[in-house]
Amino acid sequence: MKMTLAAAALSAGTFLATAAFADVTVYTAGPKSLIDDLSKGFTEETGIAVNVFQATTGKVMARIEAEASNPVVDVVISASWDTANDFAERGWLVAYTSPNAEKVPDFLKSDTAVAQAVSGLGIVWNTKSGTPKPTDWADLAAPAYKDLVNIPDPAQSGSSFELTAALAGEDDWKLFKALKANGAIIAGANADALNPVLQGAKAAVFGAVDYIALSAKEKGENIDVIFPTSGTVVAPRPIMIMQWSKNQDDAKKFVDYMLSEKGQKAVADQMLMPARTDIPANRPLIGDLKLLQYDSKDIYGKRKETLTEAADIFK
Amino acid sequence: MVKVFGGTSLAVGIALPGLLLIVAVPFAFIVLQAVFPSLGAGSFEAPFAHFIDVLSNPALIRMTFNTVFLGVSVVVVASLLAVPLGIFRALFRVPLAPLWDALMLVPFMIPPYIATLGWIMTLQPRGYLEQLTGFNLAPFLFSVGGMTFIMALATFPVVYFAVSRTVEAIGTRYSDVGRVFGASPLRAFWRITLPLAMPGLAASLLLVFAMAIEEYGTPAALGRRAGFEVLVSGIDLRVSDWPIDLPGAATISLVLVFLSFLAFMLQRRVLADRSFETTGGKPQNRDKKALGALTIPVMALFSVVAFLATGVPLLAVLTTASLKTISGGLVLSNLGLQNFSAILFSNAADGLRALGLSLSLGVATALVAGAIGGLSAYVVVKTRTPGRQVVDALTVLPNALPGIVVAVGLILAWNQPILPVSPYNTSLILLLAYCCILLPHPVRYTQAALLQIGDNLEAAARVSGASSLKTLQRIVLPLIMPSLISAMLLVFAVASRELVASILVAPIGVQTVATFIWRQFEQGSISLGMAMAFIAILITTLLPLLALGWMRREGPIHH
Repeated sequence: MKMTLAAAALSAGTFLATAAFADVTVYTAGPKSLIDDLSKGFTEETGIAVNVFQATTGKVMARIEAEASNPVVDVVISASWDTANDFAERGWLVAYTSPNAEKVPDFLKSDTAVAQAVSGLGIVWNTKSGTPKPTDWADLAAPAYKDLVNIPDPAQSGSSFELTAALAGEDDWKLFKALKANGAIIAGANADALNPVLQGAKAAVFGAVDYIALSAKEKGENIDVIFPTSGTVVAPRPIMIMQWSKNQDDAKKFVDYMLSEKGQKAVADQMLMPARTDIPANRPLIGDLKLLQYDSKDIYGKRKETLTEAADIFK
Repeated sequence: MVKVFGGTSLAVGIALPGLLLIVAVPFAFIVLQAVFPSLGAGSFEAPFAHFIDVLSNPALIRMTFNTVFLGVSVVVVASLLAVPLGIFRALFRVPLAPLWDALMLVPFMIPPYIATLGWIMTLQPRGYLEQLTGFNLAPFLFSVGGMTFIMALATFPVVYFAVSRTVEAIGTRYSDVGRVFGASPLRAFWRITLPLAMPGLAASLLLVFAMAIEEYGTPAALGRRAGFEVLVSGIDLRVSDWPIDLPGAATISLVLVFLSFLAFMLQRRVLADRSFETTGGKPQNRDKKALGALTIPVMALFSVVAFLATGVPLLAVLTTASLKTISGGLVLSNLGLQNFSAILFSNAADGLRALGLSLSLGVATALVAGAIGGLSAYVVVKTRTPGRQVVDALTVLPNALPGIVVAVGLILAWNQPILPVSPYNTSLILLLAYCCILLPHPVRYTQAALLQIGDNLEAAARVSGASSLKTLQRIVLPLIMPSLISAMLLVFAVASRELVASILVAPIGVQTVATFIWRQFEQGSISLGMAMAFIAILITTLLPLLALGWMRREGPIHH
């Protein structure tokens, strides 16, 4: 009995991953293929190895919170700018401005964080759904889309929350009440909201993350990504260096590489918007989008109330 | 060295430290996290700050009620599916019996979120069913009934294996006595065989209840559309978006543990003060009856349940994996093997590594949880050792502890700066997580089996001069083996595809099969994820079947 246990422990032991301490350890919100590309390129260029933990923003943050008494993470890339503000307030971040950040617009950088990439929210519409092509948010409350609209859950995604708060603030929830009356439902996180639209169970997602849908369209799915005429929100993905990091020089090199031409091209290849304005991409860029105007401090201050209101409407 | 110890002290000596390490350590930190909000940062300030806040939330009461309702509903539907099948399998010569056993094992190999997604893509408007037949079952799917049905299909094998093994051990001797005294076959079964099978049935129903109230994927995907919120959705919400709330998640998980504890006490009451000993010194008549006129209906029943539990989800996974585009639908020109070739060739290294890790973790979890669980059950049921109540309590705690919370507890426990060495950031932490989550299975199954063994057998062995260790090895172990092996198979299956804890606690840069698939989904590559899922399900199903086949020929398993 004891022998088998030892053997089992050993066999499990053969798969041990040891984190060497001279490497850069990165915790990042998706997509995995992007961080794989970037780590490979960075290691080729500098010889510094990268250890990656990749999950959703929530899981990344949960791991950092649980590890806080003895952290190992050097660099964090999140999908929500709010985390960068919060970490800065806690004094967890190193102030660093990369020389490569020059071409990143001011609203996408602070002393302690800089956007690596930006995603936008749009309407994802199934072109074979037999519904008219929507051009603005309000279109989806029309009878043609009765029971055919999915809304990503604002409680499970930072960018969905910002969109909900910004639009609700403009007309005091009128649009959302109209959507509800038209049979729209709140459907899980981003991927859960998109699947039914791919298969045709629904016709459109109200406020889907653009790059996943654009990649799917590239693979041949019959969908379109529409950026509404009245404006939308973007979600910059901040990259930050943690103050407890024991190799901040390498971490800074990693940030530099993220913002290098090569690093930004890798971002464009994933159908995300590069943070630098001088990197072309095969998709609409930040300058092409009309953005909704709102005060993000203000809306995050009322996060709980907004989520409660949204949950009440879509009960 | 073993000769120095008796069987009892050896059992306690392995079970207790094992339980302390696997259960007590993470659980203690979950409780601490619930009480001290800043525990992660190593601070004990503001105790109970969250506790009152979370527990006084009126929504929590509704969620708790929904959770109990769901758990009970799933138990009822799962027993309706499993009990008749298990009884036929135990008492009659069912044609193709090994095949049915294998098909009933597959639902465990399919990760619940994949099975649910498969059902959604089959039944939703313009899903596979509608594409093939012109109608859909969306209203049923996105209802509490549909959710219950799908969760019962995923969990009923627990009951099926428990019932078929315990009833088989009872055999027909006792009901034959009833028949001699004039009872009808049904009455003899109802009044004699079924009550004697209570330990196995009650234990498996408790496991299903615990699994149903801690399952996250299915209620999230189906229940929320029906406006049906359960406690686990509340837990996951607290760790799925910024700002996350670990103390809140830990607090709600304690409510779940409390619910499963109540269910456990209920099971105790049901089994209290009665004897279920059916395995004494007399030889058992192992002859099963022929089905006769029942053959066709029983085969039909097995076929329908196997098709719903195994066939539909597997076909949905295979179909989705074979589509070039999801929006292209089920037309010949849209089908191909490119997702499989992408997994087998371009992602081969990653996929293979994930598969190898998951399979070895599955085997290791089955061995460790099986050994510690089996010994713990023995200590509780068959010995008078002081401290066995502690062992008993520790085996109940992980019931219904959600994976995500186990993961948080493990990180808090094993990432302490004072530890010179730690399993954290090695694959051993995954083993610890899986053992904690799955320990209830071998414990409950083995306890049920032990309740049926008469003490006179062990007494006879001791009188004949066998040491207690030899008695354990020669008498007790062979008698509980069928149940323990069933439990270990379930453990292997679930551990090799566990997702929720794995995402959070996996070492940096390490992927299991489930996290690999989940990442494909996250990036919108559903078909690619499904291809990997199909390959993984095939391999994890074949392995235990080969092992079982070998044991049938060589070892302690009956025919």
